Amino acid sequence: MLRYVRRRLLTLPLSLLLVAAVTFCVLRLTGNPVDIFLDVNSTPEQVAALTTRLHLDEPLPVQFGLFLWDLAHGDFGESLQTNAPALDAVLERLGATLELAAAGLVVAVVLGVALGLACAVWRDRLADLVIGSVAVAGQSMPSFWLGILLIQVFALRLHWLPTSGVGGPTHLVLPAVTLAAFLLPNIVLITRTAVLDLVHENFVLAARAKGLSRTRALVAHVLPNALNPLLSFLGVQVGTLMGGSIITETIFAWPGIGRLMLASIYHRDVPVVEAGVLVIATGIALLNLLVDLMQMLIDPRIRRA
Amino acid sequence: MPHPPITRRLFATASVAAATLARTGPAQAAERVLTVGASVFPDSLLPGSSSFQSESLLHQTNEALFERDNGGNIIPALALSATQIDDTTTRIALRPGVKCHDGGAFTAEDVVFTIAYVLDPKNAYGTLARIAQVSGAVAVDPLTVDITTKAAFPTLLKGLSFIVMQVKRYHEKVGVKGVTARPMGTGPFMFVKWSAGDRYELTAFKDHWGGIPAFDRLVFREIPDAGTRVASLVSGETDIIEEVPVDLIPQVAQSGTAKMDEIVSSAALVLTYDVRVPPFNDPRVRLAFDLAVDKAAIRQEILKDRGELLHGQLLVSGTFGFNPALQARPFDPAKARALLTEAGYDFKTPIPIVCQSGKYVSDVDIANAAAGMLSNIGVAASVNVVEGGVFLQMQNAFKMGPIHMIGWYSLGDADFANVWYTKGGRRATWLNEEYERLFVEARSTNDRAVREGKYMRMAEILHEENPSMFLVGLPSLYGVGTRVRNFGAASDKCIRVAKVTLA
Repeated sequence: MLRYVRRRLLTLPLSLLLVAAVTFCVLRLTGNPVDIFLDVNSTPEQVAALTTRLHLDEPLPVQFGLFLWDLAHGDFGESLQTNAPALDAVLERLGATLELAAAGLVVAVVLGVALGLACAVWRDRLADLVIGSVAVAGQSMPSFWLGILLIQVFALRLHWLPTSGVGGPTHLVLPAVTLAAFLLPNIVLITRTAVLDLVHENFVLAARAKGLSRTRALVAHVLPNALNPLLSFLGVQVGTLMGGSIITETIFAWPGIGRLMLASIYHRDVPVVEAGVLVIATGIALLNLLVDLMQMLIDPRIRRA
Repeated sequence: MPHPPITRRLFATASVAAATLARTGPAQAAERVLTVGASVFPDSLLPGSSSFQSESLLHQTNEALFERDNGGNIIPALALSATQIDDTTTRIALRPGVKCHDGGAFTAEDVVFTIAYVLDPKNAYGTLARIAQVSGAVAVDPLTVDITTKAAFPTLLKGLSFIVMQVKRYHEKVGVKGVTARPMGTGPFMFVKWSAGDRYELTAFKDHWGGIPAFDRLVFREIPDAGTRVASLVSGETDIIEEVPVDLIPQVAQSGTAKMDEIVSSAALVLTYDVRVPPFNDPRVRLAFDLAVDKAAIRQEILKDRGELLHGQLLVSGTFGFNPALQARPFDPAKARALLTEAGYDFKTPIPIVCQSGKYVSDVDIANAAAGMLSNIGVAASVNVVEGGVFLQMQNAFKMGPIHMIGWYSLGDADFANVWYTKGGRRATWLNEEYERLFVEARSTNDRAVREGKYMRMAEILHEENPSMFLVGLPSLYGVGTRVRNFGAASDKCIRVAKVTLA
């Protein structure tokens, strides 16, 4: 297993290099960052100064080489907007995104697994039908619409929760639920299917034969085995979760990395976009590795393979 | 652990503590906070950005020599007066007794330092172009500065209203990074905390020359989604919000907790043609398009009677240089079609209207309406919504396609808007020798009457030539909580709250 981890960690820089190359090219393909960043009234001297600062007066291969050299030294340059280190600007906002993503994930997994289990236990009964229908409806509802709906009900009508912003646990509820709604339906359906596949397996029958109650057999034997497909799903969805959080951050004025990236792309704040993409890519790669390791720990067959 | 026995001394101590809490409790609760919901924050408090969002924040801590009021008029701020010594020298008398947040005095040295900093191209100061003709500043005495210009510069004072004064000693001590991280100046509010993407907190400056603000704390919150911004106002989380979408105005107006405050901004929304190539190199086609779009209906139906119908020119009424003799052309689709036929217009030519989404009030709706009206006379019009960065890229490359939507701010003076139709503006495909000459002449004299005459003629040229379809002067829409007094919607969209009181 250690060899596997080592191999994955060794290939990580290659993946990041690929991401860096694509980011570098895309940012330059979508126009001269100097023209887009500087005010329309900028003087020729200002244009020249920024062009030199971003090495845009150098040939493209030289620019890429300089970019990689700085990258290898952990230097993304300074934000054009703030004049502060670009990486700092990204890390400053990363915490809020992680907080939101973690809260959304916890809500989605806890609720999703519980509801999925309920669907499996009461298969084809009223509970299964109701939960399944709600899950499908949730999946069909865009995040921005659900967010607005939640604000209208819980902030404006009931006055239970704040409309937006950060400040305390209450501020986290609506954005976390909105983000969770993004994943919840799939988690419910995956859990339901996995549990239904497993309940007739011999090891479950053996557990029941040994006298374990139905609940105990479900929790102790079925559920841990049902987690693997769920983990695979979550591993794939980490990137989607980031995408979903951009919309949620905008609706709920959550000061996360998604909004920073959007603003930086709009202004072509090249250093911040590059730093942000690489930080997100690293995070996704590491989380996928973590998911793989968890699957190996849960299922010895994967470990042996 | 056993509880200590309740002795007389312990009781007395507890009583004093309780009394202290009782005294401080209400005092803290009585702290008066004004919360403003902004649509977007600048990424930092770096001085010099030309966006109104940036100006709204920067001018709370750092003031300009002259400021603009909500109507766009120039009013004295750190300067009391400006006297023209000769064509290229303006003597500025500073307001005496102005204190900075560090307790020190604001003097001519700070003005000289700021101007030198702005003029240095190394500093990439965003609004340098507003005072591009300034060549330097010299301190005559601690309260007098001479500002020199390369030539006559009639818009100097307006240009200076975009330049917030820095405190020399502070800037030299902490550098531009320090100034950006923690601004310090003479403004009515002092920096407390900047949380990027979330909030900007300030506290009232008790020694402000204009008087102490009527509330203790000022909080700007960035709430990018318009629906959430309105919800925050209605629920009482914010006191003032900017950029209320037209379709959400009823929600604010009927809430009972807030009301609308609005003004016609100085931004003129236009559809500009590429006149270098067919079909818009033919003036008849431009005229026909102008006749085919019912601008009054756009204002009435989409903007719900807000803003102002442009009078066939670039400036909104009340702007210096506005020509009252001109009117918007009447809507006449039959005549428009006849003109197009006469011009041999190919009705199969695709005419995509390039615009951005959310850049201006109801921008995409207006573009769709215009495209629909053009379609009604047989033009193959459509709408092409592009991302802001792509729009700028297309603009810089002069590849906007046949028509694009843009808003030009005049900020109360024709010079600021007229420039976009000159070579110097680097934005126009339509150029006109007479217009160009008049623009340079108007910019080269300090004689207000002479300038105004030239701007009137320039407006006539624009009206005759139709380089753009002049649609509407955009409204500036704010939602204001019912407890807020003395707030005013601003034509330049800058949020001014120093004089606000709370009921």
